[in-house]
Amino acid sequence: MKRVGPFVLERRLAPSRGAVLGISLLAVVLALLVAAVIFWGYGVNPWHAYRVIFQGTLASPQGWAEVVRRAIPLILCGVGLVVAFRAQFWNIGAEGQILAGAVAATGVALFSGLPDPWLLPAMFLAGFLAGAVWGMIPALLKVKLRVNDVISTLMLNYVMMYIVEWLVHGPWKGPTARGFAYSDLFPRAARLPLIPGTRVHWITLVVGVAMAIACAFLLSRTKLGYETRVVGQSQDAARYAGIDFLKVTLWVMLISGGLAGLAGAGEMAGVHYRLRSPAHISMGYGYTAIIVAWLARGSPLAAVVTALLFGLIFAAGDVIKVALAMPFQVTDVFNGLILFFLIGSELLMYWHIRWAPKRAASEG
Amino acid sequence: MRRSLKIAAIVAAVAGLCTLGLAAETVKVGFIYVGPIGDYGWSHAHNVAREICEQNFPWLETVYVESVPEGEVETYIDQLVRQGCNIVFTTSFGFMDGTYAAALRYPKVILAHCSGFMRAPNLATYMADFYQVYYLNGLMAGALTKTGKVAYVGAFPIPEVKRHLNAFAIGVREVNPNAEVHVRWIYEWFNPAAAKEATEALVAEGCDVFAFTEDSPTVVQVAAERGFPSFAHYSPMYDFAPDYVVSGQLVHWEAIYLDFLQKVHDGVYTNENLEHVDYWWLLSQKAVEVGAKPGMMINPVFEDDLKAYIVDHPVFGEISAYDLVMVRYNQMADPGVTFDPFQGPIYDRRGVLRVPEGMWMSVDSLITMEWAVEGVVGPWPGEP
Repeated sequence: MKRVGPFVLERRLAPSRGAVLGISLLAVVLALLVAAVIFWGYGVNPWHAYRVIFQGTLASPQGWAEVVRRAIPLILCGVGLVVAFRAQFWNIGAEGQILAGAVAATGVALFSGLPDPWLLPAMFLAGFLAGAVWGMIPALLKVKLRVNDVISTLMLNYVMMYIVEWLVHGPWKGPTARGFAYSDLFPRAARLPLIPGTRVHWITLVVGVAMAIACAFLLSRTKLGYETRVVGQSQDAARYAGIDFLKVTLWVMLISGGLAGLAGAGEMAGVHYRLRSPAHISMGYGYTAIIVAWLARGSPLAAVVTALLFGLIFAAGDVIKVALAMPFQVTDVFNGLILFFLIGSELLMYWHIRWAPKRAASEG
Repeated sequence: MRRSLKIAAIVAAVAGLCTLGLAAETVKVGFIYVGPIGDYGWSHAHNVAREICEQNFPWLETVYVESVPEGEVETYIDQLVRQGCNIVFTTSFGFMDGTYAAALRYPKVILAHCSGFMRAPNLATYMADFYQVYYLNGLMAGALTKTGKVAYVGAFPIPEVKRHLNAFAIGVREVNPNAEVHVRWIYEWFNPAAAKEATEALVAEGCDVFAFTEDSPTVVQVAAERGFPSFAHYSPMYDFAPDYVVSGQLVHWEAIYLDFLQKVHDGVYTNENLEHVDYWWLLSQKAVEVGAKPGMMINPVFEDDLKAYIVDHPVFGEISAYDLVMVRYNQMADPGVTFDPFQGPIYDRRGVLRVPEGMWMSVDSLITMEWAVEGVVGPWPGEP
């Protein structure tokens, strides 16, 4: 119990689902209200702004398609991060793991010489493996040398960014790119089919949702999932129970990094069709996925929903830029406000606030 | 006879109505920028041109989107088309694939892609290039260096920047045959911190005149602090160091945009005949300008020094650097261009003959240039 002015805060151990949902929605509504003030300050009627955003995203099939397309890499990375976070492994490296997957997929698409029908499956497999390897390096460092996982995963992002830069400026610079720093275009067989009239590479989407279901099953119904949860609750207890910390950590990061690698392969085969500057490939999906996973509160299936929420925010940002002609920074302001309120609402979830002026308390 | 006259009259009237209808119709144009319009370079320059177009044509309405990631350009074209744009300009090489795909999907919309090479019946390409301007800047730099070392801070070692650097070096060596051009690459289009570091490294190497490709006035400022002259890049940077900016490169994208839009409005360009429309506009089309600010080709502070520097020129005999700049400028700015900086014989720094005696380079070989001319000192990734 804690007293703040006339309020009493009581700790809630496990907030009910209803409370979580209700409070989160309240946070989003509050964020939209504050954003409305910003729209108004910029000279755009907030009511008009929200109507335009709604029309450009949820009210039209193309709008929906964009929301889903932006959510695809977030689903894959978000689900992977949920798994890592359940084991208390702080993987900040999804961005680098996405790029690792993109590099591997590019390598297969351009240089493997595989027969056409094998190309796409091989690209996804290579993407998964590359992301997994990039994710397992910090896992080994943590278990063997006690290197802080936040630092090592974060730093490896920059290493991978420079590897991509080097590739597009050096050995993989495409002869057809006329000297610009791009690889050649992928052959047709290395490009994913799109839902007609949209840019949704639906195969990656299906893979993402399937992975979410698989990870939910893994965490709740398998031995490895149980061990993951025990490690996440208490490493000491896990060791006492004879759980192999190395094995669990490696598995967790194999999945987490691998899924991010799949996202990278999907972006390459579904959106870009050629390796380019790293900032234009991932655009921070790996960092946004951290929030996606955090808001999903340990549930891979919930990560699909939170990923869609962020897909919506990104798509809304695009609409704001074009239809309302506001500066591009406003998208980040919009995202930031929603995050600020969602994270701020955490307090309400774990603390029950009761109105109890001092006198009443002393009388009682 | 009367009958055919009547038909002719009707045809003429209908045609007249059609053109009237077309003329009255407003044209809505979308511009897609890769950077923020608040940068001090590429995207800013395109946006300035967009504003000029809007002021010039009462029938024109424009919208723009800034900071668009390369892979997202198609999405933004979709949105602009949905908003009713009949023309869309995409202004970065990295937008090429997306613009081409959109051109196939929207055969009725006119698209134009800056700096690329893929065209379609409704997709043109355009570019305003600086290499002649860099050459003229090089003539001035070669006359002003006292150490015989001129500096160049480059963004990326890609053909566009290499071409500019080579043209600059050719200018430097034309007036100062033993001078060297020292180069540093920063691998960013916009990175003031890296530009500062590179400038200081080049100062330490003994360079005393500075040119660059980067979207901030950093090199100008750092050089001025040390008392060294420099050449502005892309935007008017005169005000950042009025005593030290000699000249520079200025772009006038509006020259291309005004021409293109006027032709669309007049019905010369349609969504069916752009397959071979490729603007490669230079000094003579007034798409680029020599100077650190519009209307000032050479900073008066440096005029005397340039006039006092006399060259024994193989073509013009004894001539001051100042006069040489003027002569060369006129040769390139006149509609019938009589000189090109890459006029053979030109050897690369490894001794390979790249342009034979008396020849000029084709646009194709200019935009794919990878080699370095004689006199360039420093790293040169991708050197053949």
